[in-house]
Amino acid sequence: MDYILSILIFFPLFAAFIGFMVNSNSIRVYGIIVTLIEFIISIIMYVNFDVQNPNMQFTQNIPIIPSYGINYIVGIDGISLFLILMTTFMSMIALIALSEKRAIKNLIITILFLEMTMVGVFVVLDAIIFYLFWELSLIPMLYIIGAWGGNLRIYASIKFFLYTFLGSLIMLVGMLYLGYVYYQTTGNWSFNIQDWNMLILPFDLQMWLFIAFFIGFAVKVPMFPFHTWLPYAHGQAPTVGSVILAAVLLKMGTYGFVRFSLPLFPDASSFFVIPVAILSLIAIIYTAMVAYAQEDMKQVIAYSSVSHMGVIILGIFALNVEGISGAIFLMISHGIVSGGLFLLVGVIYDRRHTKLICDFGGLAKVMPKYATMFAFVMMGAIGLPLTIGFVGEFLSLLGFFRTSPVLALVAGMTIILGAVYMLVMYKKVFFGEVTNEENKKLLDLNKKELTALIPLVILIIFLGVYPKPILEPANNSVSKMVKIMHAKVLDNDTAVKLVNVNSIGVQK
Amino acid sequence: MSEMPKITIDFLSLNFATISPMIVAIIAGLLILCIDLSNKKLDKSLYIMLTVLALLIDLGFVLGFDSDTRGFFDLLLFDGVATLGQIIIIVGSIFFVLLYFNKLRFQELRYPEYFALYLFVVAGFQFMVTSDSLILIFVSLETSSMALYTMIAMHNRLTAIEAAIKYFTMGALSTAFFAFGSMVFYAQTGSVELSEISQVLTANNFSNYFITLVGACFIIAALGFKLSLFPFHLWVADVYEGSTSALAGFISVVPKIAGFIVALRFFEIFIIHDDKFIELILYVIVVLTMTIPNVIALLQNDIKRMLAYSSVSNAGFAMSAILIGTTQATESLFLYWIMFFLANLGAFSILWLKRTKDYNNGSDHTLEKYKGLIKTSPLIACLMGVFMITLAGLPPFSLFWGKLYLIGNAVNAGHIILAIIMILNSAIAAFYYLKPVVAIFLKQPDENTIQLVNMTQMIKFVAIISAIFTICAIFIVEPLLQIISFYTQISGF
Repeated sequence: MDYILSILIFFPLFAAFIGFMVNSNSIRVYGIIVTLIEFIISIIMYVNFDVQNPNMQFTQNIPIIPSYGINYIVGIDGISLFLILMTTFMSMIALIALSEKRAIKNLIITILFLEMTMVGVFVVLDAIIFYLFWELSLIPMLYIIGAWGGNLRIYASIKFFLYTFLGSLIMLVGMLYLGYVYYQTTGNWSFNIQDWNMLILPFDLQMWLFIAFFIGFAVKVPMFPFHTWLPYAHGQAPTVGSVILAAVLLKMGTYGFVRFSLPLFPDASSFFVIPVAILSLIAIIYTAMVAYAQEDMKQVIAYSSVSHMGVIILGIFALNVEGISGAIFLMISHGIVSGGLFLLVGVIYDRRHTKLICDFGGLAKVMPKYATMFAFVMMGAIGLPLTIGFVGEFLSLLGFFRTSPVLALVAGMTIILGAVYMLVMYKKVFFGEVTNEENKKLLDLNKKELTALIPLVILIIFLGVYPKPILEPANNSVSKMVKIMHAKVLDNDTAVKLVNVNSIGVQK
Repeated sequence: MSEMPKITIDFLSLNFATISPMIVAIIAGLLILCIDLSNKKLDKSLYIMLTVLALLIDLGFVLGFDSDTRGFFDLLLFDGVATLGQIIIIVGSIFFVLLYFNKLRFQELRYPEYFALYLFVVAGFQFMVTSDSLILIFVSLETSSMALYTMIAMHNRLTAIEAAIKYFTMGALSTAFFAFGSMVFYAQTGSVELSEISQVLTANNFSNYFITLVGACFIIAALGFKLSLFPFHLWVADVYEGSTSALAGFISVVPKIAGFIVALRFFEIFIIHDDKFIELILYVIVVLTMTIPNVIALLQNDIKRMLAYSSVSNAGFAMSAILIGTTQATESLFLYWIMFFLANLGAFSILWLKRTKDYNNGSDHTLEKYKGLIKTSPLIACLMGVFMITLAGLPPFSLFWGKLYLIGNAVNAGHIILAIIMILNSAIAAFYYLKPVVAIFLKQPDENTIQLVNMTQMIKFVAIISAIFTICAIFIVEPLLQIISFYTQISGF
């Protein structure tokens, strides 16, 4: 059991290498089996995970460059547990629903390689090795968008790569400086996050480091105003690329905030709550309005992704247990829901080779099963109670309500605006008369697509009704983290503020 | 008339062990010339393997050195930094000479003198790093440079001869600067040995500072030519484009490390005393060297010229290690250069593989000729992709660890602005390294391009070895750091 995290990281890499031997006509089945095995390994990990224990579990420490303090340290707690499960699950679903025909062997091997880097990001506890997996995930994504994408694919992939690369480099300088500060304080080199959590930093140092890490994470989330790469990347990427990008890669940024920014820089995090909240609010409202104005279905969902990530950031910067746990739940729900939405758009794109809303109309008559699935996933996206989307949004907004009721009220508009653009799109595409001749001959969902979508719909309803499996471990680990933040805070006012925003978790 | 006193010099005090590695290289070069005299019909593979053999024996002597560090009337200083420099020079030369097992018949490889000159170049650079005396540095610099100019010109294309003449003229200017600078230091301190110069200047507390500064500026100009620092980097693009890829790869790695070690020894005098003027001059040169060639490389369409400007920018990065001046920064210089060597060896060997004798289609290595390489030769395309993203500085490939250590040392020494400039340049560089990757992987191949006529198993082998080391670099960083820190610390840096 000790090595299960390393197996989880490196199994897809190993499978990717030996996948070169598999013949192209069977490589799809190979990919599905590999991701299925990976998912089963992650389930085994979940079964053996002690939900009541808020500390890091399954830890492993291998020194790599001891003279500079860089070691291979892995471990998971309640925060990262479900992110890993969601990563392996969505990779499996994406490969089940894969309908790409060109150069499929390269695509599947690239996706397996990408899965390794994604799992690595969520599992690793050493800052430089975290950065390693973070940057390494850019290469397969560049290849997927650039080789299998739409017309502007090269522009989209290079913009995605360079924008994220620059942000991450600034984060790297912050990490190196923090490592140096640790060395100055203790005399040992270490980039281990758990060691760094022991440091108490002066406020102006916290502020600059927070900004450096913020730039790295904000580009990845993406937060307004660094979000301009996302519509291009989603618009030009193939379906499978969009699914993995939306489901997992966006969560790396928000996970970074929870794992790095909050526990390491509590005073700075508290200081920047209102500016970050304003940026999130702009993201929520502005991108929702832009989503309403889009003509391409995929762009609507892309902008809705940015909007929902704004709610996640708001939940994180509520700095209390409800907010952060709600944000983590919303990360997982957004992964499942937007993965599902992109898959559904991919289904109709495969049949009609267009994603423009005006080309459709009255599809519910021709493809009833598709319309039903789309309705379920869409309700999850809107945040209808009893679907998975409601729990996360509600908890994030509830958490932020304690900081500022007015801002939380404005952010609550996300529910209304989300309903607006989603329902209008649904009406235009599915309801009414079948206006376009071509739409009359469309086939409904086939077995492959149903196999991919039904688990998603089941999860959307099940976790909407019974969210406890995710919330319980998340609550425990987040409570511990908030306690650490409270213990480390320098400024008395901040400490008081932290106590005030926390109704559960921190004792006076 | 009184008797002239007998001169008695103890043979042992000359300490031949300090020059025995170079003697091996020189004797092997002369041996190659003699063999060619006796039998004209020998194959180039004999000469290549003789060169490799000589360099291996040379390496053996360097590693097995255990006598006194000073030799030949204190002309030679075989300290830790010299050992490390020689190891890098020799190992680099061995890998670059293996590239000459190629398929196309080029003019210079028909002449065994080429390999003799190669060995003289290596011997010259070895003398350059093993010396503390400005005169011996001058002589060895000239020896190796002359041999190098000839090697470039032997390729017998018009661009090659143009490149050799440009390099020669610039090099002659830099030699003149070096001579003038040495003269100024001799006039000021009465010695041409860097350690004695340092002592005298410290003892006088840098009086006559203006004269010292003039001398230092001349030496900086001379070193700037050799290390291709801004604004002395103008020769690099044309020289790399005119020489063969294998030789261009050699020029990008080996002469630079020799120059860095001389610069290390030279700037030690000033960094120790916290000299503000020199630090400012170095800072400006380093920042401009990192930034301006980066921007120029964005505009290049030829991969070789792009790699030339990128090697200038990387030389700027390595120079910043000398600017920072701490012991760890010196270690990071060597780590960075070894990682850069791995990446550059690979990139230039792939360029060498793609070399053709088709001189009518513009320059040799335009991006057009690399389009869609993934469809025609997937292995070579993947190797080139690995080397390009390594040079961009992506983890976990080799150059990332060099950059990490270097930026970390900049941050540790308090140069935060320098660290930010370094990462901005890395981000700019990522764009022009992505251009070949995009052309190779994401574009359709052109039917007219001639594919891989120069390829042999040996060149593929060198590229694959280089790729393996590049990918597994994370595991070799720690042992390398141990070795490097041992050698730099016993030299007192």
